[in-house]
Amino acid sequence: MTTEELDPLIHVPARLRIIATLAALPDGDALSFTRLQDMIGLTPGNLITHLRKLEDAGYVDTEKTGNGTASRTTVALTHVGRTALDTYTAALRDLLAGL
Amino acid sequence: MNASDEGEELDPRAAAALLEETTRRAQRQFDLRRPLLMVIGAAVVLIAYGVLWLSVRGQHPYSGPAGWALAVLYSTLLVWIIVVATFYRRATSGVSGRSARQQKADAAAFIPIWITVYVFQGALHHAGASHAIVYGIYPAAAPIIIVGSAAAAYNVAKENWPWVGFAVAAVALAAIGSFAGPAGVWAVIGIGLCVLLLARAAGQVWLRRA
Repeated sequence: MTTEELDPLIHVPARLRIIATLAALPDGDALSFTRLQDMIGLTPGNLITHLRKLEDAGYVDTEKTGNGTASRTTVALTHVGRTALDTYTAALRDLLAGL
Repeated sequence: MNASDEGEELDPRAAAALLEETTRRAQRQFDLRRPLLMVIGAAVVLIAYGVLWLSVRGQHPYSGPAGWALAVLYSTLLVWIIVVATFYRRATSGVSGRSARQQKADAAAFIPIWITVYVFQGALHHAGASHAIVYGIYPAAAPIIIVGSAAAAYNVAKENWPWVGFAVAAVALAAIGSFAGPAGVWAVIGIGLCVLLLARAAGQVWLRRA
């Protein structure tokens, strides 16, 4: 097994941290954009860029509620995203076992 | 780190370490039952039950805890509530969804249970039960037996076995501790519950490191 076989969407430091952080929440829970940003330590622009890629792949679900200053964006890991992280973790484990 | 780390080569060992560290840190930040909280809880129990025991030991006949002891008890409980609320607010900040709704439902079930414990104490007083029961054995043991039994059943439903063990041990401690009498029950349960909380905190730390 080679690193090419690892999910390229997850195998990026920032996105790996985003997915791992969201996966620490119980299934069915969402995290506010601001708390996620605080925990990951990315700028809002960078976080949006990474989230958009994950959302396009169906790994995360973002939801915006309210308008103006009262608006709130939440991010949740989807079942597809959780499965992708499990697959990535298993692949990583196999890869490390073979080193 | 930025969006341009796209092309950054991530070594598998570094990826595994990053995944483990991020997961551990996130779990710790979302955890509502932190070991530190249990250690503080152990100290609170020891102080609360300890001062009540100091105020009632040697009473013949038993009349109940002194006013100063109750003042210390309520002050300690107030500090405890503030500490728990601070931990809770930090852990749940920005979290929404199923578990937030579940926590509200849990509170809706457990708060009335707590209240009925003390309503029943009033009924015992009204029925003419002795001070040894109304202000001794009952308030020391009943809250733990009643709320602990509910917590044990709740955790069985969630298959949360370490907490089932803790709740059952606390209920057993309160029931057996009641044999120590209206004064001794405060000391036995205070020390026992303190030990149980410290053991549970140590168990949690051990499980995390395993």
